[in-house]
Amino acid sequence: MSCVYSRETLALFIEDDLPMAQAERVRHHLSVCRNCQQICEQLQKSQSFVKARLKSPFHVTPSPELLNAVRQTVLLQIHDDRRTLGWGVKIERALMLAFRRHGYAFAGLAILVIISASLLGQMRHSLPEMHAAAVFEAKNMLLRPVRYREWVFVGSSIGLEYSASHATPTSWGRESFHNVYVNPAAYREYAKSGTFPEGTVMVLERVRSESKKEPGLQGIYEKEFIALEASVKDSSRFQGGWGFFDFTDPDGKVKAKTQALSDGSCRSCHEERAETDHVFTQFYPVLRSARMES
Amino acid sequence: MEHEPNPTAMIRSAFLMSRMPEAEPSPETLEIASLVRRIVSGDSAAFECVILRYERRVATLAMKLLGTKEDAQDAAQEVFLRAYKYLHRLDLQKPIEPWLVRMTVNVCKNIGRKRQRRLNTFSESETPDAYPADKSCDPYTEILEEQERQMLWKALNSLPEKERIAVTLRDIEGFSTAEVAAILESSESTVRSQVSRARVRMKDAIDQMMGGEK
Repeated sequence: MSCVYSRETLALFIEDDLPMAQAERVRHHLSVCRNCQQICEQLQKSQSFVKARLKSPFHVTPSPELLNAVRQTVLLQIHDDRRTLGWGVKIERALMLAFRRHGYAFAGLAILVIISASLLGQMRHSLPEMHAAAVFEAKNMLLRPVRYREWVFVGSSIGLEYSASHATPTSWGRESFHNVYVNPAAYREYAKSGTFPEGTVMVLERVRSESKKEPGLQGIYEKEFIALEASVKDSSRFQGGWGFFDFTDPDGKVKAKTQALSDGSCRSCHEERAETDHVFTQFYPVLRSARMES
Repeated sequence: MEHEPNPTAMIRSAFLMSRMPEAEPSPETLEIASLVRRIVSGDSAAFECVILRYERRVATLAMKLLGTKEDAQDAAQEVFLRAYKYLHRLDLQKPIEPWLVRMTVNVCKNIGRKRQRRLNTFSESETPDAYPADKSCDPYTEILEEQERQMLWKALNSLPEKERIAVTLRDIEGFSTAEVAAILESSESTVRSQVSRARVRMKDAIDQMMGGEK
């Protein structure tokens, strides 16, 4: 152990790494302290040994083959990347070239980012409008609508079912909720004009109901989804203007796409009993109030 | 042996230049600035000139920090790809080399961590791959020196990462404390502290390996 100065300080001193004033004080101390002198000598030997063995460039020199491989790989990748260099980098470069000064370029970039973010924010609202709510494959094969739960929820009923035979309820019976959604563009048009435009899609989710009869908790709630149906207004495809679809397999699974139902049972019921153009607006308070408000 | 300029001296002058903003840029800096303008304007072929000029510097440092040819090759590639991507951010009034060295250190840190070679990152190998071996000594001396070198690499690799990088740059690469601080984006006092601890640890490790004091 050194007396006044630590070995770390002496390790800096021997390589002239101490600030001048401190180095002078250490030098003065060494002139009177044999112990510290010895520590310095040992550290100097150790340092010389390290440098002599590890500093030599002969022992850590990349081969020409390695350098060549690096160069070729980088140049190849750069060649490919010229087209795929991110837009952010491209814009940054263009700004840098235009302004020549980093400060101006970054300011320009910041303004561009703010404008882009603002535009993107606005676009997010209109993005759903850019995609048709109903996407068909082949003539009458409808793909399951995506993200319909982000559409307008027009109403829900429980056990509401027209039955041609006036018999007891079907297997859904009163046990299923019917949640109905309409695509936003159709909703807006209906609210405005009272008519459903071409391309209108109504989605019906059936959900099994469950009742609670416990002390302090009673009522009926939605349990699991059991079926998914849809209707689409497309006069060019369907007789009467509307097509009806059932995405539910016999085993209860929801299919990715399905053919329009051909038996006509849905259509006839909707034609006869729906209040507005095949849509049961009489059961959808959201649509009624939208119409009234407009 | 191929004659080439002393890279440490080159970078030292580069650092000195970088600390004197009012000084006129060196001819090398001006040449690089011209190349950078060409590259940023779309002439990616000009980047080959930049690689040719600094590839040895970058790869050598990577080998020292990572310990193997394979890792050094990956690191050097990554450094030049990053450099190409962000070349437009380079201050053309300043030399490029400190920027590349800093990038090399950062890339080596990442590679070391990613591969989890050791808890403290970096080389697991006891000695970097040598090329070409120094054939000037007699066989006995050569073997002895090689053993000592391996022992030292092992001691160096056992240091905590920050100390190892600092002492490698200061004592093996020959950068000044101020230069190391600039490369590591740290303060000079922090670098001094790291380097001093590393030197003492190295001495103790050497004493232990030698079975006494060296």
